[in-house]
Amino acid sequence: MGFSVLIVDDSPAMRGFIRRVMTLSGLEVDTCLEASNGEEALERLRQQTVDVILTDINMPKMNGEEFLRRLGSEGLARSIPTLVISTDATKARILRMLSLGAEGYMTKPFSPEALREEMERVLGAKHV
Amino acid sequence: MSERLNQSCAVASDPDFSSTLSRVSAEVLETMFFDEPVAARCEHSWISSAASVRLSFEGSHRGEFLLSVSPQVARSIAPAFLGIEADEVTGTQASQVLLELANILCGSVLSRLWPDSDLRLGAPEPIQAAGSIQPATLHECFLLTDGMLSVSIQMYGAEPE
Repeated sequence: MGFSVLIVDDSPAMRGFIRRVMTLSGLEVDTCLEASNGEEALERLRQQTVDVILTDINMPKMNGEEFLRRLGSEGLARSIPTLVISTDATKARILRMLSLGAEGYMTKPFSPEALREEMERVLGAKHV
Repeated sequence: MSERLNQSCAVASDPDFSSTLSRVSAEVLETMFFDEPVAARCEHSWISSAASVRLSFEGSHRGEFLLSVSPQVARSIAPAFLGIEADEVTGTQASQVLLELANILCGSVLSRLWPDSDLRLGAPEPIQAAGSIQPATLHECFLLTDGMLSVSIQMYGAEPE
């Protein structure tokens, strides 16, 4: 049985790449929702829940930091693990995102294998 | 010489910075764009016809990042990144992939150069042909399968700690 994922990134190209590497890595994805910022993502989550969220940080309207805060304040952070995917590998940024409730932090560039490993860790073996 | 130029010269002449720029750029291109870049001599006759993207960054360091690719590379990176056939790639997709390439390269290079920094990246924006590369700029050129790619960082000096 596959799992459901919400990809939050303002770049359509990056969303397409993530979809592609999930397929390449052999992850079984049943449902793949997409949003171009945190605000859109929250709207989607109010309509449909997912097993895992993959989110960028730098986005217009609502960035990744605010998105994580809102997930926490709306009680969604406990039930849906969030994996941050960003080019930003600075220590302060990583610590800040983890302190806001992110379950993991992947820096670009990343390989399909690395994404699979991290998603397996975040989701637990039952989903992958 | 101005303070800005002094700092840029210091960065551009630092072998560690140059090595990081070269290594991280190659890692990005190999891992996410499935190409095998080779560091190339900077001969910029192709720059006038290049597709270029600029990003500004600010915070503990301020400056601009510039990516330029030759026309053939601009067409070939999108199918590689998206995993679709070249004739299926729209102009919009090609532009979006180029912007994303600049975003990934800029963020990766800067945060590896300054892992203890606090940086904010601007949105990548396409610009007309970059013209000549500014002196005192951290800069590398690569030969890809289908053409040339160059990355440049122009520093505007550091803000006080």
